[in-house]
Amino acid sequence: MDLTRREFLKTSAATATATAAGISVPAAVLAESGKGDADIQWDKGVCRFCGTGCGIMVGTKDGRVVATKGDPDAPVNKGLNCIKGYFNGKIQYGQDRLTQPLMRMKDGKFDKNGKFQAVSWETAFDEMTRQFKKTYNEMGPAGVAVFGSGQYTIPEGYTMAKLMKAGFRSNNIDPNARHCMASAVVAFIQTFGIDEPAGNYDDIEHTDTVITWGANMAECHPILWARVSDRRLTNDNVKLVNLTTISNQTSDIADSEIVFKPGSDLAIQNYLMREIIKRNAVDHDFVKKHCVFATGPYDIGYGMRPTDKYAFEAEKDIQVKELRVTLDKHEAIAQRRKEGEVVEQKNTKKPVKHWMISFEEFKRGVEPYTLDFVAEVSKGDANESMDQYKAKLKALADLYADPKRKVTSFWTMGFNQHYRGSWVNEQIYALHLLLGKQAMPGNGAFSLTGQPSACGTAREVGTFAHRLPADMVVFNPKHRARSEKLWKLPANTLNPKVGSHITKIMRDLEDGSIKWAWVQVNNPFQATANANHWIKAARKMDNFLVVSDPYPTVSAKVADLILPTAMIFEKWGLYGNAERRTQAWRQQVAPPGEAMADVWQHLEFAKRFTLKEVWGEKTVPGLKAKGFEDGKLPDVLAEAQKMGYSPEDTLYDVLFATKDNLKVKWPDTAVAKGHGNHIAEKLGDGWFPEKALFNEYREFGVNFQHDLAEFDVYYGDKVRGLKWPVIDGKETQWRFNEKYDPYCAKGSGFDFYGKALKALPSGDLDKVTKKDKTSLAHKAKIFFRPYAAPPEQPDKNYDLWFSTGRVLEHWHTGTMTRRVPELHRAVPTAQLFMNPDDAEKRGLKRNDLVWIESRRGKIKALLETQGRNRPAPGYTFAAFFDEGVFVNKVCLDVTCPMSKEEDFKKAAIKVYKA
Amino acid sequence: MNTKSSTTRRDFLVKMGQGAALAATGGLIWSYLLNQQARATPFAIRPPGALADPDDFNARCIKCGQCVDACPYDTLKLATADAGIPIGTPYFIPREIPCYMCEDIPCLKACPTGAIDPALENIDDSRMGLAVIDIENCLSWQGLRCEICFRECPVQGKAISVEHHPRRISKHAMFVPLVHSSDCTGCGICEKACPTEEAAIRVVQPELVQGKIGDHYRLGWTVDTPITQEFEIRGKPDAGDRAPPTGLDYLNEGPL
Repeated sequence: MDLTRREFLKTSAATATATAAGISVPAAVLAESGKGDADIQWDKGVCRFCGTGCGIMVGTKDGRVVATKGDPDAPVNKGLNCIKGYFNGKIQYGQDRLTQPLMRMKDGKFDKNGKFQAVSWETAFDEMTRQFKKTYNEMGPAGVAVFGSGQYTIPEGYTMAKLMKAGFRSNNIDPNARHCMASAVVAFIQTFGIDEPAGNYDDIEHTDTVITWGANMAECHPILWARVSDRRLTNDNVKLVNLTTISNQTSDIADSEIVFKPGSDLAIQNYLMREIIKRNAVDHDFVKKHCVFATGPYDIGYGMRPTDKYAFEAEKDIQVKELRVTLDKHEAIAQRRKEGEVVEQKNTKKPVKHWMISFEEFKRGVEPYTLDFVAEVSKGDANESMDQYKAKLKALADLYADPKRKVTSFWTMGFNQHYRGSWVNEQIYALHLLLGKQAMPGNGAFSLTGQPSACGTAREVGTFAHRLPADMVVFNPKHRARSEKLWKLPANTLNPKVGSHITKIMRDLEDGSIKWAWVQVNNPFQATANANHWIKAARKMDNFLVVSDPYPTVSAKVADLILPTAMIFEKWGLYGNAERRTQAWRQQVAPPGEAMADVWQHLEFAKRFTLKEVWGEKTVPGLKAKGFEDGKLPDVLAEAQKMGYSPEDTLYDVLFATKDNLKVKWPDTAVAKGHGNHIAEKLGDGWFPEKALFNEYREFGVNFQHDLAEFDVYYGDKVRGLKWPVIDGKETQWRFNEKYDPYCAKGSGFDFYGKALKALPSGDLDKVTKKDKTSLAHKAKIFFRPYAAPPEQPDKNYDLWFSTGRVLEHWHTGTMTRRVPELHRAVPTAQLFMNPDDAEKRGLKRNDLVWIESRRGKIKALLETQGRNRPAPGYTFAAFFDEGVFVNKVCLDVTCPMSKEEDFKKAAIKVYKA
Repeated sequence: MNTKSSTTRRDFLVKMGQGAALAATGGLIWSYLLNQQARATPFAIRPPGALADPDDFNARCIKCGQCVDACPYDTLKLATADAGIPIGTPYFIPREIPCYMCEDIPCLKACPTGAIDPALENIDDSRMGLAVIDIENCLSWQGLRCEICFRECPVQGKAISVEHHPRRISKHAMFVPLVHSSDCTGCGICEKACPTEEAAIRVVQPELVQGKIGDHYRLGWTVDTPITQEFEIRGKPDAGDRAPPTGLDYLNEGPL
């Protein structure tokens, strides 16, 4: 069926060339379309949605955004937008926009079981502070948490991270970006010692082979896919291959579509590497000069809780795999063990440890991954013949191995949201490094991000439970010391214990170890897998939940206090996209009613805490670090006083409105150009928080491999973002490549200069044999990682695979796009996509309302058997934007044990008529 | 929603009853009105399987409203006097509620007279109208990544396909939707879903927009015509009777 569809598309493409030839826009028409816009003021902005980072122009009139357009000067999109981007001007004008703080009240005061009522900001902050202090004094920094975001602007992420880490001394801040690209980060750090891609989007125009792995770019990175498609259409030598578990829109223009079984990407990668070695296609010179081989333990669990205490009865058979796994036939071969062997998962606490191995050991690791074996493990479509499938795998190896071919591999959530997400990410680098096809124009493995500032904020600022700005981490004493110096904090103010990641914050709410949480730019109660647990935890446990949002979301509904929040063009901000491009915009309009931007909320909250409340001795259960008493953060008040602080100073004074920052004046004469700043105006103390704090943050990265330009530079009329590191005003196109990257050592050619994890012990495939660490400075690692089977798979009871993801029309949990009437009309609900034969077998037809049931819950959706996703027999898919369908009630909260990113792509369900 | 619309429908039927009573007394005027309407019938999008010829349909439809009742999506409505089509006949407005193309076609099954033709077995064979794209206002035709009509089309890939062309003024491809009359049912889901302020794709009467390539010509790439090796005369041979020669006037008269 799919083949005929594609064939059809191909034949019709031939008929269309004539029509296409005439498409161009005469200058006269362009000029005409600008008329009537004379009283609209235009300014540059950035699209609110995905990680592509399209530039837009925002048109305002009478205090309202009245129009937007794709920015023709933006290099990413050259004036184009996708259908979400087209509606940037409408997202802030939904009918149910929140404009006042709302709190659960009964008899005039807060009550967890009360109804939401409008309250003043003063009352809201009073209760929020009272609740915070109650928990903080009882439980210490570990009892409070922040659900942050990859959609925070850079200043927002920075102020919240600083408030939590430096102010409250809590590392319990973690972004929804954890669910999006944490696996990519682990692989970047482990492989290169530094986060984020070497290349950039121009790789698309330089390459002649694009391989997509678990990335439905056609729908999820629509404008980038238009560039890939253009490359394909304008050059016959260019080849596209789409590897996916469900046939999708990205396959429509691909030369080859490889439908594989969930989780078997690990096996396919090892097959490709085995082939490359067998065919002698390894770039030995590159590998010898710039790489080492490495591996790590296999018995690392699946990121579940180690106990079934909180599990539903039906969940227990999966949960037990966290402790021990019985190897199936394929895992046994892939891991050189015996079928049926029971493996205790001994390395669940240290899944990231790894050691160097020899090339010979690496070869021994990939040896079992023959074409026959891998085809058997991975063939995903029962209707495809084994011979055809094998031919496709072989052809894929041909493309990668061809020395004359440049290859760019793209991936997104298919790799990242994976019970071995960090491994699959590492192995794609392994493949490219073996071939010497990395960090050069058109050649490279490129991790696409989902969110508009997953890179710029979540990663670069470090709004994760383990991170500090510029790739530093809380458990590294040198990094803490450097941060304390830059932040002007007493030594040992920062907490060395990694905080709770986003899924763990949910689990902590459930078991009562976190009792106060603040949700921002994020809808975690809809977006976290296994949602029934977390919703119950929010409502039934003794805790206080604050949600800042412009709209009433699922998370707001389970909250105790809702703070009305300004949206993108109602505030100043900067985002960083997937190609390291930092882009900025000004406040275009004021927020409605009493809504205020997150930065203001952070600063205002900080005013309510004095140093003596937070910098005294604090108990942190489980804290164990050199220089710290077990379980304790020291009193640093005396040291603070020596530094000139008073115990009565507020966190606002000490962390934000510092002497230096107060010198950065608002109103601003350099870049504001008449635009307002509702935060500066409301604070009223004459400083420009976003600018002051960005420039403060910038210090972390300068001469530290993460150089950003100064704030004002990004606001230049001609600037359309800059790709860091920005050195002497120049952006960096390809990192680690001496030709383009000034950080590379002279004469190195390539220099993987990232600093993290660059000294390792050595060993064989199974264990460390030599504990002495060898330095591997300036080198990248080629990992061997074996195939491991998904912990939950279809069985007799739950007989279908279920995966979730996105549609082009809606963003994430739909809180913005579902408020755009046109987008809601176009795609009002998330459908369950199913193979027509599977539907027929169950007596179902399209548009039937069906139950989708897993071990964790059941939901209803309309059935679809055709259209944008075409699952093979045994597979189903539904998008997660629709709170009415709420797919996360059935999804499994297994995570990659290394990255703690949830696997939203592999659950077992059954489907029956509702 | 269901209750509301069926109430409206009932209200309407009551009014119809009153109208009929009026007609019985008013006689001539009522039938004149109906005739006028039937004759001046503008295009109405009828239920799937409705007889193609408007006269046939109007003659057969007894305005009983059973198809409307059977429609699970409240798509179908009965025409009121201001709808511009014969009062009481079923139709729908896609931008409000399109036809969702039920596989079991309940409206057709409910029709007691065959105005909705029971010969229609597969909903994909229905032809309620033809979707047409206003390429000046279609976002995808300008290069934006929309293609919602394509993705929402229930006969996706057949009734609406997307073609990829280089955009030329930047290094992006255009994803251009095209409607194929061979498979478009006119259900209007595309019109409903279109995100522009006024729909840039609409269901219209096919005759209004469809051209026709001359019978004498075949598009070279659409029809396979191998050279006939053993030639034989097919079709009716020439009758053989000689017609009077033409062109003689020109040949024989006038100066050279």
